[in-house]
Amino acid sequence: MLLIRRSARAANAVRNMSPGEELFVASVVFCMLLAAFGDAGNPTVLDALGFEFLIADLGGEMSLLAVGHWHLIEFLLGGAILAGVITALQILAAAFLRSLSPAASRGIDKVPIQP
Amino acid sequence: MEMELFSAAFFSALFAIILIDLVLAGDNALVIGLVARNLPKHLQRKVIFWGTFGAIAIRVVMTLMVVWILKVPGFMLAGGIALVWIAYKLLSPQSDAGAAHAAAAPAASFAGAIRTIVIADAVMGIDNVLGIGGAAHGSVLLIVLGLAISVPIVVWGSQLVIKLVDRYPSVILLGGAVLAWTGYSMIVREPLVTPWFAEHTSAKLLIAVLVFAIALAPWFTARLPAQLQALVVLLPAVMVWMLAFEVAASVWQVRVDYLLATTTGEYLLEGVRWLGWLPLAAGLLWLRERSTRRNRRLAGG
Repeated sequence: MLLIRRSARAANAVRNMSPGEELFVASVVFCMLLAAFGDAGNPTVLDALGFEFLIADLGGEMSLLAVGHWHLIEFLLGGAILAGVITALQILAAAFLRSLSPAASRGIDKVPIQP
Repeated sequence: MEMELFSAAFFSALFAIILIDLVLAGDNALVIGLVARNLPKHLQRKVIFWGTFGAIAIRVVMTLMVVWILKVPGFMLAGGIALVWIAYKLLSPQSDAGAAHAAAAPAASFAGAIRTIVIADAVMGIDNVLGIGGAAHGSVLLIVLGLAISVPIVVWGSQLVIKLVDRYPSVILLGGAVLAWTGYSMIVREPLVTPWFAEHTSAKLLIAVLVFAIALAPWFTARLPAQLQALVVLLPAVMVWMLAFEVAASVWQVRVDYLLATTTGEYLLEGVRWLGWLPLAAGLLWLRERSTRRNRRLAGG
C-alpha cells in the first residue's frame, strides 16, 4: 500500500529510469561505497604490510577528503560531480573516436586528394 | 549521537528522513477514502478529519517509540538488516501496482472506520518509522522536523508525490540507496558489534558491499541479460563467504589477515579464503543452469 505504487512508472522504477538518472544514482552509490572504504580502511594494516608509502598517498588522499565521514548531501554532490565527469569523458571519447574513423568515400566531408 | 544544529550532518539527516518518508509513505488518503465510502455523508467528513489526525498521531508515537527501542542493544542490528530488506522490496518491480488497496474494506461505523485507518497506518508505517529512526541518529528534533515537513506532503500532497516519482523514477532508486546506507550505518553502529568491527576493519567494507549487493539487486537484475542474472546472487554469496572467515577468526582465535600468513596452516586458510569460493560459485551456477533447463523442459511438455 505504498503511495508510490499508484504510479505504474514508479512501481517499475528500476526499468523506467533514464541513463542520466541511472548514472547519477550509480555515482552516489559509488561514493557511499568509497565512504565505507574510507571508514574501514585502517592505515596500521598498510604499515604492518610494509606499504608505508601507500599511507602517505592513498591514506593521505582519503583523510584529505574525509570520505569516511561524508553525509548524504556530500554523497549527492560527489555523485553529481562524478556523473558529470563521466558524461563529459563519454562525450569527449565519442568525439575522439569519431574523428579517427574515416569518412564515407562519397561523403560530403571527404577531402579529395589531388594527385 | 549529538548533532550540531544546521550543520551539513544535520541537513543531510533531515534530507534522508524526508526522502525515506516520501518513498515509504503509505497511501493514507486512499485507505481513508476506501474505509469511509459506505458511511453516511455526515460521518464521512468526521472520519476524514479524525482518520487523518489518528494516522498522524500514530505515526509520531511510533517514530518516537522506535528511537527509544533502537537504544536497546541488538535492535540497531536487527533494524539495519530489516532496512536492507525494505530497500530490496522497495526496488523490486511490481506488476500489480495498486491491487493491494482492495484489502481496505469499508467500515460500518465511525469507531470501526477510525480503528481500521489507525491499524492500517500503523501496519503501513512500520518500515517508514524504522528508516526514519535509523536516519535520525537518535535526534528527536530531527524526527519532529522531518515529520512536520513530510506528513503534510503525504497527507495533502499525495498527488504531488505521485507526479514526482512518475516523472523521476530515480527518486525511488535514490531512496533505496539511502535506505541501504542507513541500514549499513545502523549495523556498524550496533553497540554489541562495534568492538568486533574495531578489530576487523575489513569486515565493515564487506558488510557495506553485502548490504548494497542485496538492497540494489533488483536494479542489477533488471539491467543484466538473463544468462548473467545469476551473478546478482553470486556477489552477496562471496561477501558472506569472506565475512564467515572474519567471524571464524574471532571464534576459533586464528589469524586471518591479508598477506600476514607465516605458517602452513595460515597459508592454507588464506588459500581457502581467497580461492575456496570459486568451486562454490561454479557449483551454484551449474545448479542454476540445470534447474533452468529442467523448468524449460517441464514447461515445454
